Amino acid sequence: MTGMQPDAALAAMRDRQRAARQARRVVVTRGALAAAAVVGFVLWANFGSGRPVFSPHGTPETGWDAFRETYGVDTFGRDGYFVRAIQNGYNLVHHTHKYAWRFTRKGALDHPNACIDCHSAEALAYAFAASDRFDARLGRRVSFEEHVMRCYATHLDGFVPTTYDPAVRDIRIFARMVAHHLQLGEGALERTP
Amino acid sequence: MKRLLPGWKKAVRLALVVSVLFGLYALTLARHDERARIREQPVTLTPGCADKLARYGLEAGPRYISPYVLARTEQANTRQGYSDEDVRAIQRGCNIIDDLQGQLAADPARERWNATRFVRGTHSSCDHCHQGIGDKQTAAGVPQTGSLSLAASWVMADMYDQFTGILLPYELRQMQCYINSSNGYKPNVADDLIRDVTAYSRFLAAALDLRFGNRYAEQGIDEVTASQTAKRGDDYVRGAALFKERCARCHGPQGLGTVVDGKVLFPAVAGPNAFNLQSRNNFSFVSTILPGFICRNMPPGEEGTLSNQDCRDIGFYVSNLPRPAGDKQGPLAALWQQLMMRVMPPLIHTVETWQRPGEPAGSGT
Repeated sequence: MTGMQPDAALAAMRDRQRAARQARRVVVTRGALAAAAVVGFVLWANFGSGRPVFSPHGTPETGWDAFRETYGVDTFGRDGYFVRAIQNGYNLVHHTHKYAWRFTRKGALDHPNACIDCHSAEALAYAFAASDRFDARLGRRVSFEEHVMRCYATHLDGFVPTTYDPAVRDIRIFARMVAHHLQLGEGALERTP
Repeated sequence: MKRLLPGWKKAVRLALVVSVLFGLYALTLARHDERARIREQPVTLTPGCADKLARYGLEAGPRYISPYVLARTEQANTRQGYSDEDVRAIQRGCNIIDDLQGQLAADPARERWNATRFVRGTHSSCDHCHQGIGDKQTAAGVPQTGSLSLAASWVMADMYDQFTGILLPYELRQMQCYINSSNGYKPNVADDLIRDVTAYSRFLAAALDLRFGNRYAEQGIDEVTASQTAKRGDDYVRGAALFKERCARCHGPQGLGTVVDGKVLFPAVAGPNAFNLQSRNNFSFVSTILPGFICRNMPPGEEGTLSNQDCRDIGFYVSNLPRPAGDKQGPLAALWQQLMMRVMPPLIHTVETWQRPGEPAGSGT
C-alpha cells in the first residue's frame, strides 16, 4: 500500500465507479440505439415505406380487381400465398418490363414489352395444359417453365431467370389459375375444355 | 538429366490443369450423350405398367382419347396427343414409380436413371406409398379415396404447403420424397428422374380427365386423427401386439422388411431401409398420415379390417422403431439413430430367443 490518503483513495474509487457506470451506460445506450434502429427500420419497411419489396401484399395494378372478379381468384382465398403469387403473375404478365426488369431489356416505351402483348391469359392457360411435350424445333421435350425462360431471352430481348425464380414460377401459377377457371384438363385443346 | 526451365514448369502445370478441365468437360458431354441415347431407346415396361398404360390407351399420335373416360361417360374426350418421345418419357416415369430401384429391370442404372443415387436404402420404391402405380383404384374401377394419387396431386400442385412454408411445385415435392420417404438425396429439378415422373403423372391426369386446381378425394391420404377414435389416445403396447399379429408376417417381426432372392417383397418400415424421422409418413412427425395409410391399404387383401384405433396404435408403435434421422435433425440425432438401428435389432432378437427358446425368433428380415 502506498502512502495515499484515505480521502484520495475514496475519491479514486468513486472515479472508477463513475467510469464503470459511464461505460455501462454507453454500452446499454448503443445496444438500445441499435435495437431501436432495427425495430424502426422494420416498422418503416412494413408500414411507412410503401415499397413492394417489403410488403407481403402484391401491388394492385390497373385491372387486377376486375381480373380477380372475372376469374374467381377468390376461390383460393382472399390473401393466401397462392393468391399473392397469382397477383404477382398478373403483374408479370401485364407489366413485364416493370416487374421482371432484371430479365428484359424492354422499357416502358417499347412495344411489345409484356407477355400480354403476344399471349392472352387463356392462351397461357392452354399452353400450360399442353406443356411438357416434345418440341420438334428444339428436338427435345420442353416444359412450360422453359418456354417462359426462352420468352425472356428471345421475345423480350433479355436474360434467362432460373426455373425457381418468381418471374417464372408466378407466371406458371397464373396460368394454372386461369386453367382452373376455365376448368381445363391435362392436354386440353383450345376451345375444347 | 537436364532440368526444365521455370517457364516450362509453369507451362506443364498449366497444360495439366487444362487437360483435367477438358477431361471433365469431355466426360460431361459423354454422359449427356448417353442420356440422350437412353431417351431414344424403346422402354421395357414392368408388367404393372404394361397393363396400366395399355388400359389407358397410351400411344403416339396427334390426339389422345382416354378409353377410361370414354367407357365411363360415353364421350370422346379429345386431348393433345403425344409424340414418341413423350410416350417414352411417360413409360419411363411409370417404371420409376413401379420399380424405383430397378429390381425388375435388365439394366437398372440405365433404365431408371441411376435412381439408386438418390436413395440410401435398398427397399424404397414410390409404389410402396403411391400404390397402384400412383393410381390405386377400387374393384369398381374408380380411384380410391385418399390413395396418394399422383394425377390428383399434379392438378393441385403449386399450392401452399404448411410443412415447407412455400408454394410447393410438383418437382420439389418429388425431391422431398427422395430426401425423407426414401431417406436419400434430392435430384436436380431438371433431372430425367423427376421429369419422367411428372410426365407420367400428367398423363394419368389426362387419362382420368382431372381438371386443374380441383381437389379430388384420391389426393393425399384420408388422415386418421386422434379425435376419430373412441379412446382419443395412442397405445404403444397395443400397437406392438397388433403389429406382431397383423403386420409382422410380411414386414418382419422388427419391421425390417422381407427380401427374397434380392427382391423386396415387403418393404422395411424400420431400420436403415425405411423412411426417416422427418418423412410425413412418420407418426411422430405427422400423426395422422401413417394411420390413414394403414387403414386404407393394410394388410394387403384385407384392407378395411383395421379400426381407426388399431391404425393409430400400429402407427405409433412403428414410428418408435429405430429409423434414420431426418435431414434437418443434425449429426447427433443421426448418430443416435444409427446406434439404435444397429444395437436394437440384435438385442431384441437375443432377448426374445432367450425368453422363448422354442419359438422362432424374428431376426428382422
